[in-house]
Amino acid sequence: MGLLQEAIFGVVTGSYIAIAAIGFTLIYGIVNMINFAYGEYLTLGAFVGFLAASAIPVPLPVAVVLAMIGGGVISIVLARGFFTPINHTGPVPMLLTSIGLGIAIRNAIRLFGGRSARYIETETTTFRFDGVPDVAIGSLDLLGGFFVTSEHLVVVGSAVAVFLAIHALLTRTDVGIAMRAMGDDESLARVRGIDTQLIRDSVWVLAGVLAGLAGVLMAIQTNVSSTTGFSHILQILSAAILGGAGSPYGAIIGAYVIGLALAISTAFLPSSMTGLSSAVAFAILIAVLLVKPSGIAGTEVREA
Amino acid sequence: MVGLAGCVSFGGGEGSDDDGSGDGSGGDDGSEDGSGGDDGSGDGSGGDDGSDDGSDAPETISLGQPASLSGQWDFLQPGVSQATDAAVAHINEAGGPLDAELEVIRRDTAVDPQEARTVTTQLIENDGVPAIVGLFSSEINPLWDFLQDFEVPMVTPWPGSTFLDTRGGDKGTPEDLSDDEWIWRTVVGDTVHTSGSAVYALENDLDTLGVLNGTTEGERSYVEGFLSVYEDNGGTVAERVEVEIGGSSYQSALSRLFDAEFDAFLVSLPLESAITALSDWADAGYGRQPILSDPLAQQDLVDQVGSDIHGAWAGSPGQSGPSYDTFEEVYSGQGDAEINAWTPPAWDAMQVIALAIQRAGEATPEAIERNLGPVSRDGGTAVNNFAEGKEALENGEEISYQGAATPTNFTQHGNVFGSVTISTAGENGFEATSEVPAEDIREYVAEGEY
Repeated sequence: MGLLQEAIFGVVTGSYIAIAAIGFTLIYGIVNMINFAYGEYLTLGAFVGFLAASAIPVPLPVAVVLAMIGGGVISIVLARGFFTPINHTGPVPMLLTSIGLGIAIRNAIRLFGGRSARYIETETTTFRFDGVPDVAIGSLDLLGGFFVTSEHLVVVGSAVAVFLAIHALLTRTDVGIAMRAMGDDESLARVRGIDTQLIRDSVWVLAGVLAGLAGVLMAIQTNVSSTTGFSHILQILSAAILGGAGSPYGAIIGAYVIGLALAISTAFLPSSMTGLSSAVAFAILIAVLLVKPSGIAGTEVREA
Repeated sequence: MVGLAGCVSFGGGEGSDDDGSGDGSGGDDGSEDGSGGDDGSGDGSGGDDGSDDGSDAPETISLGQPASLSGQWDFLQPGVSQATDAAVAHINEAGGPLDAELEVIRRDTAVDPQEARTVTTQLIENDGVPAIVGLFSSEINPLWDFLQDFEVPMVTPWPGSTFLDTRGGDKGTPEDLSDDEWIWRTVVGDTVHTSGSAVYALENDLDTLGVLNGTTEGERSYVEGFLSVYEDNGGTVAERVEVEIGGSSYQSALSRLFDAEFDAFLVSLPLESAITALSDWADAGYGRQPILSDPLAQQDLVDQVGSDIHGAWAGSPGQSGPSYDTFEEVYSGQGDAEINAWTPPAWDAMQVIALAIQRAGEATPEAIERNLGPVSRDGGTAVNNFAEGKEALENGEEISYQGAATPTNFTQHGNVFGSVTISTAGENGFEATSEVPAEDIREYVAEGEY
């Protein structure tokens, strides 16, 4: 396989991470908290999608939409119940609350949902492009034949749709512009008449919707279990920080850097080190932060 | 060394009419403290010099069972619990060891080493059990020295780890406790069934191999066991790729693996990661013969990966010990938990402990430890269950317990040998298609190293 094929794998992985990382970084940028329970939002979204697809059952696209709606509802309910009441306490108490909430949700899911993994039934079609010529540089083949599956296309397509929608929201709508204003200076935004609590609630809903989408996409690719989201929270967090905490555009870049690093390091590390591909991704994160502490997109890192 | 207070309730008379309500919770008056005071000179015939003179029969004998009631392996516990309970019922129906009521105190460890440390301590020091029936590899290995310090026999149906290949058992000297390592396992170790799988692969002309395995000890241990026999007998590994478990995609790893030329590829991953990886493999259309580690022979794998996985095979410990039918009959009357590879060994563990107590004439850790080997090894009257064994022992005969999972003929390191069943995936899930006899595997396991 050539580098092109590895790049495709990396883009697919990056797309999962990017969708979730946008939600994560919006919470960080506007609510000013690191939400470690965010992985559980993905898990809950995945369970909603699974239940919709198997218990009701509805067609998969409808299940995805229900998972997004469910994610939004769950997010605002949890925010209202656990985070809004302690907004004034600052980021550290909120961070600790989110850690505790994540543990509680994860175990509650396990208690009521069981540990066994569930699977969303899908049909996958593979598209092959074997006629692409090799372009070799030494032992490295830059092009060569490759394949993509319908799942790959759905994931990447969903990510692109999310990017466009987020861009439109942040640049073309009052709510989005208000979000950016709050992200820059919440006090000034309030002075200018922005209902900051409404914007916070909007962010929680939006982050939940994105978590629901990312969760159900991960579930389609893998399975639904109590650890579906938790097992990816470090990658999501890393993408957000790498791109520039608080910046949705930076989170997208960070996610794809991590996705490509994971794929390419697996392909090219020595055999005995292939299990360390995640470590390579985190090494890149550390290296970038040493050179540019504000992350790739350069958004100022807010005080925690 | 710890005392035995609490586990054995003594009383006058028969004691066999106990209603089973003995809780083993330490409610004794301490009068039997001397039962733990064995001076090490016991001769295995129950001749302890403690305050119990042997004329007092215990009313209740409690054994401790650390269990995976929660945690990532909890789905395996129902079968093991049911087998244990079925064995207890069967043993008590036959009059119980020393005519006492046998009971099991079960506590959850979640297969967490720290929790296992606490639970084991509670069972031995608070509940005063004279033997433990349980503990996983991932609990035993890190707690090895800690567990040895108790000097209480632990007969477990769980661990496959190669760590235990040369650790445990009585070293072939039942009467001499000084060299004992107190851990016995009634399940076939990884070394045996990975050897069987490797032998089967070579017999089927799968001479070159690709390997995809996780980075945890269990997955690596399985692969190492397989490859040691495979490569020593002419097999070649073309490529080996290690991956982290729980990934959302294994396409990059598969792409790398299938760049190499080989006849078959060995997959050793937890079930959920294996389903993701093999679904990716099916989507990519890489083909070639999959060989699976034994925990992967599950219906879920076939259901989720689809027809591409048909023809994949896994070698797992056989469930064909001489007394399997007896076990199955009693087991099925106890509940409806699914039988897994660790279920018959759980039955065997209870049987050998009960028989050891019966042969010893007392229920102390030392007495049980001295008698586990003698009631199971070759020689003596072959018995298929506790009832037969008790009768033979009461007639003054030596016995050799023939187990449900294997013949339960303990090696010097407290291990058992057994056949390996090859199960192949097809339309109806995994079905046994071949068997590698234990005798064929023995030649690949060096004498004294298992």
